[in-house]
Amino acid sequence: MSSSILIVDDSSMSRKIIRGILESAGHEVTEAADGMAAIERYSLEKPDLVVLDMVMGGMYGLEVLEKLYEIDEHARIIVATADIQNSTREMAEQAGSRGFLTKPIKKEELLSLVNSLLEGAK
Amino acid sequence: MTELNARQADALTELINIAFGLTAAKLSEISNHRVLLETPTLAIHPMDALARDLGLFVTGEVASVHQVFAGPFSGDAVLLLNYESAVKLSNLFVEEHLQSQRLDSSTGEILAEVGNLLLSACLGVFGNLLQARVTFSMPRLHLDSLEEFLTSIAIGSGESQNAVAITASFHIREQSVDGRIVVVLDAPSLEQLIQAVERWEGAQSSA
Repeated sequence: MSSSILIVDDSSMSRKIIRGILESAGHEVTEAADGMAAIERYSLEKPDLVVLDMVMGGMYGLEVLEKLYEIDEHARIIVATADIQNSTREMAEQAGSRGFLTKPIKKEELLSLVNSLLEGAK
Repeated sequence: MTELNARQADALTELINIAFGLTAAKLSEISNHRVLLETPTLAIHPMDALARDLGLFVTGEVASVHQVFAGPFSGDAVLLLNYESAVKLSNLFVEEHLQSQRLDSSTGEILAEVGNLLLSACLGVFGNLLQARVTFSMPRLHLDSLEEFLTSIAIGSGESQNAVAITASFHIREQSVDGRIVVVLDAPSLEQLIQAVERWEGAQSSA
């Protein structure tokens, strides 16, 4: 089933890779290159799921995560980051992230996580 | 200036080997090429000696991806390549018909993201093993001469002009890509790093 997914990442390379994976599974994808744009898009479009980078210009990913949960406490947000630290994973999980992936993103891992979250939402 | 005793040097070398080894593995994973990593080295010397050392490796125009990191220890992490290697490395990630002989905004952004993956992985290992939280700035791509680039390293503007440089060269032979990862710390950060390494070494020994 097609779902709407918002990718938030300041790297166009990363957005392109993640978009390709998600579109290959039939999902509709929109993009935001920073935290402010992500909040605007989320408010307008209310996507089914968000894939969120951590280290971005302007608003840091954790701050974006918290803002999105202020808008929608039921938001489904996956963190996808190059930061492999356990402490970052723990902080993301404490902030409500439903999943944590480290880059480079593996197709099977991303789709498995996305599918399990979307299945759980039905 | 801080000097390391044999035990500290051994523990720090082990930590660096793990961090740079995993960084090379990450580069191999994303590039789909075998990456050869030279043994990392740690050197404590004045900033101008750092310039001399790095000058042996890169001449002319230099492409670097630079991230400032902060936490219990802070400094600069740099992916350093000569221009030709930078072009070749970025071309590994684009389709053949889009490959270029110059770094443009598109390939430059690819290089910045590759640098981000490598430097975050390297520093992340330090953070994980030492149980210390490290935060990063966004990756910045510089296309300068080495001298101009070194003036942008934050540590050079501090009171102490001494720097601790942890460096490792890597090679992707099939593509003739040669690069170097450099982590630069100031003296107080080295003290913090040594203390954390000693705690880590103690935990390893008692495990």
